[in-house]
Formats: sequence, structure tokens, C-alpha cells
Amino acid sequence: MLAMERRSFAAALASAPSGDKTLLKALLASALATLAFGVVVGSIVALTRGGALAPAVENGYRLLTSHGVAAFFFWLYFAQAALLLGLAMTHGRDRPALALRPLAWLGGAAMLAGFVASQVGTWLGTPLLYDGEPDLVGDDRANAFLFYAGYLGLAFGLALVALSAIATAIAGKAERRGAAWSAVTFGTVAWAGLILVSAFAVINAFLPAALWATGAGPRPADHSTAWHILFHNLHYLPLMGAVLIWYALVRDFIGAGSVFGERFSKVVFALYLVFVPPTSLYHMFLEPGLSPLVRALGSVLSLFVGVPTIAAFLVIVISLEARARAAGRRGAFGWVRALPWGQPAADALAVAVLALAFGGTFSFVLIQEKLAGLLSDTFFVPAYFHFLTVGTVSLTLLAGIAHAMPGLCGRAPPLRRLLRTLPYVIGAALLVFALAGVVGGLTGLPRRALDVSYGGQAPALWRTVSIVIGVAGALMAAAVLAYALVLIGGIARFGCAVGAAAAHEIAVPPERAVVRFSAWSAPASVAVLILAIYAATALAFEIIRGLPVLASGSGH
Amino acid sequence: MDEDVLALTIVFIVWALLAAAFALVPMLDMPAAARVWGAGAAVFLALALWVTRRRHSRHR
Repeated sequence: MLAMERRSFAAALASAPSGDKTLLKALLASALATLAFGVVVGSIVALTRGGALAPAVENGYRLLTSHGVAAFFFWLYFAQAALLLGLAMTHGRDRPALALRPLAWLGGAAMLAGFVASQVGTWLGTPLLYDGEPDLVGDDRANAFLFYAGYLGLAFGLALVALSAIATAIAGKAERRGAAWSAVTFGTVAWAGLILVSAFAVINAFLPAALWATGAGPRPADHSTAWHILFHNLHYLPLMGAVLIWYALVRDFIGAGSVFGERFSKVVFALYLVFVPPTSLYHMFLEPGLSPLVRALGSVLSLFVGVPTIAAFLVIVISLEARARAAGRRGAFGWVRALPWGQPAADALAVAVLALAFGGTFSFVLIQEKLAGLLSDTFFVPAYFHFLTVGTVSLTLLAGIAHAMPGLCGRAPPLRRLLRTLPYVIGAALLVFALAGVVGGLTGLPRRALDVSYGGQAPALWRTVSIVIGVAGALMAAAVLAYALVLIGGIARFGCAVGAAAAHEIAVPPERAVVRFSAWSAPASVAVLILAIYAATALAFEIIRGLPVLASGSGH
Repeated sequence: MDEDVLALTIVFIVWALLAAAFALVPMLDMPAAARVWGAGAAVFLALALWVTRRRHSRHR
């Protein structure tokens, strides 16, 4: 068992049955294809926002809907489905193999059908944006049904994939005579459990709308509330997956797990689940009938929203630093050199962590009760969530795919230098895009209006900011597209063949020596993060106080 | 109790209590939230039971 525990993700994948590897490759190819589609559409949206393109208004909203559905939903969940199954079988079992594989195939097929249905519904019907508000449907209910059926297909498919992952981990536990799961396996089961709940939340939000669209039910009365609950899950779910991938990859990089022990890591992963429901109240800040006491309670609980991610960050980085110092790395940041910088995954993860710091800072500004109503309908929202969805989650998923590729395809990803460079291009473009968006958002720049000139009545700053957003957004999309295409090439076996031992040799540092070394970088980073949140909040209040605000409201 | 089952059971309890609060506390009155968190509680209870059952079936 110990030998299995020390085997890397890629090495264990290499020994999986070919049928399982084919399934994972099919899911990853679907993920990367939906990402490529989503960012191409996204680049058109960005160029429209920047004034370089001017599609008809309805097509502009179709582009926005199509981008949101493809990139925020199907890319993220195809990739998570593949990596979830990969982690479940490689960490959960001594001999990697999926349980209930036909169920996972059926799930992947349902997700693919869902993607096609949602896109057809978007391009042939009324563009509903990604929250699919029934009030926008009008008379064309048939295409609205297709759009809603797309989400239901995604939910059904994800549930089947999650069941296969859970069954795999449970089969592994039974094979090991009931021995406790490793931290990664427990985290994978917790992640799969949250996927099942999120699938139910999708059904809760979109089944009433789908029934109404077919004439089999009344118009949904509380679609926006159901959407907010789903949306809350969708904040946590990809982030939980991303953090688990960090944990698994860093474990491969340094050859050992957390210095705090497996059990403590399980507590951290369980924290994600414990904190999901109570922190959901802040999404209700925009509900007009919310009582002041619930509003206050939501404000207090929202402060805990980042606790699991910060705890996981501390565990991962402290472990990495302590082990690197024990291995002789000196200097304030000498431990950073212990990461395998020759591998594309390391660069992508580094940018992902930096993006999380920015996204986390601005998310705490947005969820404050006094600011939520003022900022939720501005470009502040896409600015902060692109830090998280593109910078943190997408780059982490791409890193996970690049890391898994040698085991899955027998070849390292092609164009290694390009893959090492692209995360920094994506990160730089994202920084410009998002900071311009934050500036625009704090001055009231609307998020869902593609032309913000308002016949020359809009503030001059909005025009400048929109051009910056357009150019940086298009550059970011181009770089993400390039990364996706390179990985698609890798799946199509264009990369360099790797020897069986190349990705598998791992040196395990001595455990006793490790705990004697101090590791201060992660706690210091968290202190800087808290100061940054304070500063950003104070700045937001100062800027907004100077604006002639007439009304606030709407939702995200 | 197996530590994995214990962790899943704790999650079930937290979610069940919150679902009950969302359903029963008049000030909250969020039936949609109660449905989702209640379904989540059921998921984690089912998971805990599934793990327990498979462990016992192998030990016999």
C-alpha cells in the first residue's frame, strides 16, 4: 500500500485499464473543445465590449450567453469530471480502475448532449444569459426548453460521473479491508458529494422552468432564489476541486503529503462541506424582503466564506516550504525553487495562486452587505470572477490535465516552452482586464450592456475602460485558446513519448527533519491578504461615496 | 467509528440542521434553500451508510 501511496498521479494513471483511459481522454477532449469554443465566443464578446465589433443586439446577448454556458459550466465540469475520476481511481485503489464505468460513460454522453442542447437553444431562441431567467423567454418556449434541457443533461451527467467516482473510492476501501482513505481520496469523495448536491441544485433551478417551457407546469415563481442557491454551490465546487488538485499535484512535486498529517487534511476538505450552506445567505442581500437580522447574520457568516480555501492554502504551502527547507533550500524564498519549474503544471499553479489572492480580495469587497447592491450589476462582478474562474480554476484544471497527460497518453504535452509561457501571458492579460473592470465597476460601468456609450451621455472613463477590457480580454482568450489547442494536440498524441520512469521517480524527504523547520511564507501571505481586503474595501467605499448613486439592486 | 464515516456523518448533521432552519425558522423562510441543503444532507447520509455497508460486507 505504501508503494501505491507514493506513486504519482501520472504514474498510477499509466497503469489504469485502457477503457478507463479512453473515457478520461474523451472527457478531457470534450472539456478542452468546450473551452476552446467558449473562449473564441468570449473574445468576440470582449472585442464587442471594446468597440471593435458591433453585432446585432440580440446576437450580442447570444454571444454572452454562449460564452457563459460553455466556459463557466461545460468546460469547468467536463474537466472536473475527468480529474475527479482520475484522482478517485489513482489514489483510491491499489490497482487503478474505475467502478461503474458504463455509468460514467453515460454521464459524459449526457453532458455532451446537454452542451449541444444549450447551444442550440441559445442560438435559435431568445438569449437568456447563463441564469436562464424565464421572464426573458417570450413566446419561443421550444428553444427555451432546449436551453434548460442542456442544464438538466449536465446535472444528470455530473451525478452519474460522481457516483462512479464514489463507487471507485469505496471499492478501494473495501479492497484495503476498510483502512482509512488517504486525504486525497477523502477529498475526492467530498468533492463528488458536493457535485451530487450541485446537480440537485441545477435540477431545483431549471426543472420547473423546463416543465413550464413545455406547458407541463406553471411559470416558476422563485427562479432567482433557486439560481442564487445553485450559484452559491458553483462558487465553492470548482474552487474545492482546484484546491484538491493543488494538494495532489504538490504531493507529486515534493514526493510526500502534508506535514500536518492525512487526518488534518481531511478536516480541511470537510470544512468546505461544512461551510457551504451557512455562508449562502449573502446571495440573498439583494432580496427586498430580507429581514435586517438575516441581513446581519449573512454579513457575519460571509466572513467565513474563504476559511476552507485559506486553510487548504496554509496546509499546502507550509508543507511545501518545510519540506524544501529540510532538503536544504535556504533564503526567504529559496523553497520556491523546490517546485519542478521545468513542468508546465508548476507555472500554471503559480499563476493560479496569485490569481486567487486578487480574486479573493475583490470577492470580499463584493459580498459586503453595503456594497453588494451597488456593485452586483456592474463590471466589478465579471472582473473579480475572471480572477477565480480563469486565473485560479481554469489554470489549475489545465495544470492537472498537463500533469496527467504522460500517464494518460504515454506522451508529455507538446510545445513545453509555450505551455510554460502561456500562464504568465494569461495572468498578465487577466490582471489588466480585471483591474480595468474593477475601476469600471466602482464607477458604475454596467456588466450586461455591450454598448456603454449611452449616446455620448456615459462618463468618458467608461469608454477608456471598455477598450482596455476588450483588448486584454481578447488577448487572455487567445492565450487560453492556445493552451487548450496544445493540450488537444497532446491528447491526439502529438507530444514526446515519455519513458515509464520519467514522471515517476520521487524522492521522499525524511519526515522527522521536516517538522523542525519553520515555514512562515504562507501565514505571512494570509496576513497580506487580510490587509489587502481591508484596503480594497476602504477604497471601494471612498470611490462609491463620491458617486451620484440613485438606486441599487439586481443580482448576480 | 471509521474516521471517514465520522466526517461524512458530521457533514450530514450540519446540513440537516441548516435545512431544518431554512424550512422552519419563519424569519429565514427559504423553502428552495431547505430543499437543496436537505437533499445535500441526504446525499452525505447515504454516502456514510454506503461506506459503512461496504466495509462490513467485506469484513464478514
